[in-house]
Amino acid sequence: MFTFTMRRLLLAIPTLLFIALVIFLLLELSPGDPMSDMPLTIPPEVRQQMRLALGLGEAWYIRFYKWLYLFSVVEPSHVLANMTGYDWLRVEGQRILSFQTRSPVADIIAQRLPQTLWVVGLSYLFGILVAVPIGIYSAYRQYSWFDQAGTFVSMVGFSLPTFFTGPLLILICSICVGWFPIISDTTLVVDSWANFLKQLRQMAMPVFVLTLYNAAQITRFMRASMLDNLTQDYVRTARAKGMTERIVVLVHVLRNSLIPVVTVIALGIPTIFTGAIITEQVFRVNGLGALLIGAIYGSDIPMVLTLSVVFAILIVLFNLIADILYAVLDPRIRYD
Amino acid sequence: MKRTMALFGAATALAMMPLAAHAERGASGHLNIIYWQAPSILNPYLSGGTKDVESSSLVLEPLARYNQNGELVAWLAESIPTVENGGVAEDLTSITWTLREGLLWSDGTPVTSADVAFSAEYCMHPEGGCAQAARYQDVESVEIVDERTVTVHFSVPKPVPYGPFVTAQSPIIQRAQFENCTGARAPECTDANFYPIGTGAFRVVDFRPNDVISFEANQNYRDPALPHFATITFKGGGDAASAGRAVMETGEMDYAWNLQLAPDVIATMAQGGRGVPISAFGTLVERIEVNMTDPSPDLPPEIRSTRAAPHPVLSDIRVREALSRAIDRELLVEVGYGQAGRPSCNLVPAPPIFRSDANDNCLEQDLDRARALLDEAGWVVGADGIRVRDGRRLTIDYMTSTNAVRQDFQALIQQWWREIGVEANLRNINASVFFGGDPGSPDTFQKFYADVSMYANNFPGTDPEAYLGAYRCGFEPRPETQWQGENINRFCDPAYDALHLQLAQTASIEERGRIGRELNDILMQNYIIIPLVDRGRLSAHSNTLGGVVLNTWDSELWNVAEWHRL
Amino acid sequence: MTAPHPTAQRPLVQVRDLKLHFPIYGGFFRRRIGEVKAVDGISFDIYEGETLGIVGESGCGKSTAGRAVLRLYEATEGSVTIDGVDISTLSQEALRKTRPMMQMVFQDPQASLNPRMTVAGIIGEPLDEHTRLSGAEKLARIYELMDAVGLNRDFANRYPHAFSGGQRQRIGIARALALNPRFIVCDEPIAALDVSIQAQVVNLLEELQEKFGLTYMFISHDLSMVRHIADRVAVMYLGKIVEVAPVSRLYDAPLHPYTEALLSAVPEPDPSLEGTKQRIVLKGDVPSPANPPKGCNFCTRCPKVMDLCRTVKPSTVEVAPGHSVACHLINQNGIAGRTGGHEAEHNQTHNQQGEVA
Repeated sequence: MFTFTMRRLLLAIPTLLFIALVIFLLLELSPGDPMSDMPLTIPPEVRQQMRLALGLGEAWYIRFYKWLYLFSVVEPSHVLANMTGYDWLRVEGQRILSFQTRSPVADIIAQRLPQTLWVVGLSYLFGILVAVPIGIYSAYRQYSWFDQAGTFVSMVGFSLPTFFTGPLLILICSICVGWFPIISDTTLVVDSWANFLKQLRQMAMPVFVLTLYNAAQITRFMRASMLDNLTQDYVRTARAKGMTERIVVLVHVLRNSLIPVVTVIALGIPTIFTGAIITEQVFRVNGLGALLIGAIYGSDIPMVLTLSVVFAILIVLFNLIADILYAVLDPRIRYD
Repeated sequence: MKRTMALFGAATALAMMPLAAHAERGASGHLNIIYWQAPSILNPYLSGGTKDVESSSLVLEPLARYNQNGELVAWLAESIPTVENGGVAEDLTSITWTLREGLLWSDGTPVTSADVAFSAEYCMHPEGGCAQAARYQDVESVEIVDERTVTVHFSVPKPVPYGPFVTAQSPIIQRAQFENCTGARAPECTDANFYPIGTGAFRVVDFRPNDVISFEANQNYRDPALPHFATITFKGGGDAASAGRAVMETGEMDYAWNLQLAPDVIATMAQGGRGVPISAFGTLVERIEVNMTDPSPDLPPEIRSTRAAPHPVLSDIRVREALSRAIDRELLVEVGYGQAGRPSCNLVPAPPIFRSDANDNCLEQDLDRARALLDEAGWVVGADGIRVRDGRRLTIDYMTSTNAVRQDFQALIQQWWREIGVEANLRNINASVFFGGDPGSPDTFQKFYADVSMYANNFPGTDPEAYLGAYRCGFEPRPETQWQGENINRFCDPAYDALHLQLAQTASIEERGRIGRELNDILMQNYIIIPLVDRGRLSAHSNTLGGVVLNTWDSELWNVAEWHRL
Repeated sequence: MTAPHPTAQRPLVQVRDLKLHFPIYGGFFRRRIGEVKAVDGISFDIYEGETLGIVGESGCGKSTAGRAVLRLYEATEGSVTIDGVDISTLSQEALRKTRPMMQMVFQDPQASLNPRMTVAGIIGEPLDEHTRLSGAEKLARIYELMDAVGLNRDFANRYPHAFSGGQRQRIGIARALALNPRFIVCDEPIAALDVSIQAQVVNLLEELQEKFGLTYMFISHDLSMVRHIADRVAVMYLGKIVEVAPVSRLYDAPLHPYTEALLSAVPEPDPSLEGTKQRIVLKGDVPSPANPPKGCNFCTRCPKVMDLCRTVKPSTVEVAPGHSVACHLINQNGIAGRTGGHEAEHNQTHNQQGEVA
């Protein structure tokens, strides 16, 4: 397993380099300009000066090399220094600077990460917590009214995009009834029960929308996987042994059914970090998704590039984790 | 218009109410402002974005700025220097500013002329990439006369010397804070760029780029009774619709900036009853720019859309006039802007002294006149209703940026043009490409690979000299300039250039007004530019927020110190 | 044959008129539109200590019957009494408590073992549920069972996938034995195994029967294996038992035309005789159990079909002690004189070898 992991990690390096290069070239070739946000009243020669100040005067391969160096050496050293508290770890000098804010990209990502983790992460967690029992019971009582209702709700969750459910919820819960705020206060510090309640209220709608979406997917997976296993011979064996239904379903069937579901869940974790771009936009949760989309609009190449490559790393990493989990959970799988 | 004036009146009256005057600093509590474009940086010298300039205007202030009527008012300066009071040299090459007495930075240190001089130095650094460099154009040096006085020397006579240190775009920054941040090091000073120390009514407590800013009252603000609000949350991001909703429908926010929304949407939101939309007009004009050169793809790239290839159809003034006559500007306003727009027949719609009334005949749609003009030009209506001359169909490529209102306009205008026998091929291009200025892209407004293109433009401040100067010969984008340049139409008329030179040498405001109007009329009467709508600014504030005076000549937040809770 | 005479024994299992009909749902509202009569009224006894073989083509309902007997499927009708307890009417909980008495060895040793449990887990799990053994006692019992089925104790913590097919079936058997059952349904326990392993497993089953006094219901389509292990044999066709007889009687003098056809398909171990063997080849397919023929279930393929067969279902007649047949031929003619004549009647099907399923 160790050699397998190491081999996969090493193989990931050229993959990631290639991804980074492709993203960089895509950004490079795409029309759009970091100056396009600026009012037309700024004269062209000033714009040119600003472009040069952003470092856009250099050839693309030099910029890519610089970025690569900063991304692989300088930025990790800062992240490490911040985590360990050892300042001597920092590699001094320039960092990857966002075109829009002129500040280190890593700082902004660190600032946005908690909001995304809270809202998207929580909804993923809730999604799992809701989906697993529903999936189990739906499969156990296939074609019952519960199963039919569950199928209906998950189809709704599947097919209604969050850009529809989000505004709908805002319309109902915020504008008509006035229960929840439509703009999330990202500066809120939870230091009292009142603020905690406030935090709950402002998170309620985005979390609900995303939970519905996540739960819909995982429920279908869980149900399908349970159905696969419920008809297996070993289930009959367990019943023949005289095991209680609870043990038959929750120990024998569930454990086996969870293998594919757990890997699907693991593969889905990077999407927590990429954020729910649309939902974050709709509810003004300024997380990583909103950051990425804003950076794309603003042609903020260093930000888009850095975020995309970080996401790529997460995806590669969680793919590996899913594979390892599979082997851990399923004794039939061995990587050597 | 009347309604707007009434709103102004009411707002101004409120701002001057004695109630507000003797309240204590911070008595109004907390203020929530929402800008649907989120500020990325609080240093206006490093970003020309309106969102960044306006959010930083809560902290950083200029020596002088424009009020809601476009009049220059002293801000950090004691008074406005003029030739009359001796502040501006007779030869128009220098201007002397004197700071108010006793000004303090929010950190408690005094504001001195060194800070003023440094601000100029900061922006004029060749490697700094200063976004406001245009305001410091022709500045030779900034001389420190004494603790409170600086003299700006220009290399050429400046009839309007109010570029440096005027308006929110060129505020005074603290030398102590930015001393080590000039030139190439400017972007490295994240702390200074995010937490600038200023003289304004508020200071930054927490800045989250592209998200939210927390401000608190500046305890060293020059008026001990101001600001009325103790704290501000300045939220950014999202879209105009939800920003408007948050102010007018749910009442979560107190002030929403620049609600570019369809008039019926604004009207629905206003029924929410928690806030009101307000509007004011500046110099922003939505217009159709006519390409005087041939954008035909058959031409070699070094000639295409350059003055070497005059436009085969649009070079004829009768065709251009016909295109303008066919447009019903009232309807465009109604469809696209409502309260925030009015028909315009001028490139320079304001301030009043520069506003010409010689072109007002464009207000009336006149299809018959348009048809007659085209007949006269030899274009004959063909079998399918489209005019033909010498085997060439009267077809026009009509380009604009992607935006709901612009696409509505395109559709309406296409229909009107169709009625006079002109076929329009519509095209819309993503704004970041269209305005992006990438010389490699064929779709920028500078390259103008189309017959006409539609967008809006304005000029900063109240003087249109530079704005009108864009239409001089030699300023057109072309391959040699990497397609940079402001003379989008590739218009060239030596008489126009001569008149503009005259403007540049005139100091008297009346005379400047006359020349400015004349320049405007030349462009209008040549139908080089087809103005459509004078676009105002529409923002919204909560019913409980007082003191708001919408100002299109400067930051909307220019008088935030006087805003208060009703 | 090791079994004592059946009549000397009391029946351990009594199955009476057992029916198992699977409903078929269809249409837009998933309404019940029919049923598959997988087991359609079978009755038999299994005496203590004996092995009853159940044979028949695949799809005849023999596996379903085995599962229904242990109430792994809920029977539609009929009763099953095991050791005096009518398990068909027990509550789920009471049924679960009687499970240790009756166990099953499944056909597919791979699929019937939970892939995520170790051998010790699989064998030991029923002990957790039905006994109160301490950890050490349990382990001892697991080892004892592994020894009994010939598995190396060292493999207790391995997962099923690490074993060969024969070993897996030994695990399945050990698991079935864990709670000291009296009755075991062996549902094609050797069908999925290599031929070389089959004999080992069958011998193991026989040894265990002797050692623990087990009663088997041995379901198989392998007639020679059944002949080897069973005391009595029941032949099933399309959900019904067509003939039951002690093994020697059935193999030597089958009465039902279907039994005859089945037996004629058994390969002859002696190659010199193989050539002379006459095969009865049945024509056509087995009718769908969802739509069985009106009269005798076998009438569509029976070489000796009569008009009567197509309209009236034959009743089961005991022609000799322990030998029952459900066939109109028998009911009409009795058994006298028929043994000599039947071969001549099948002449038309000669020399079409190898086509009997």
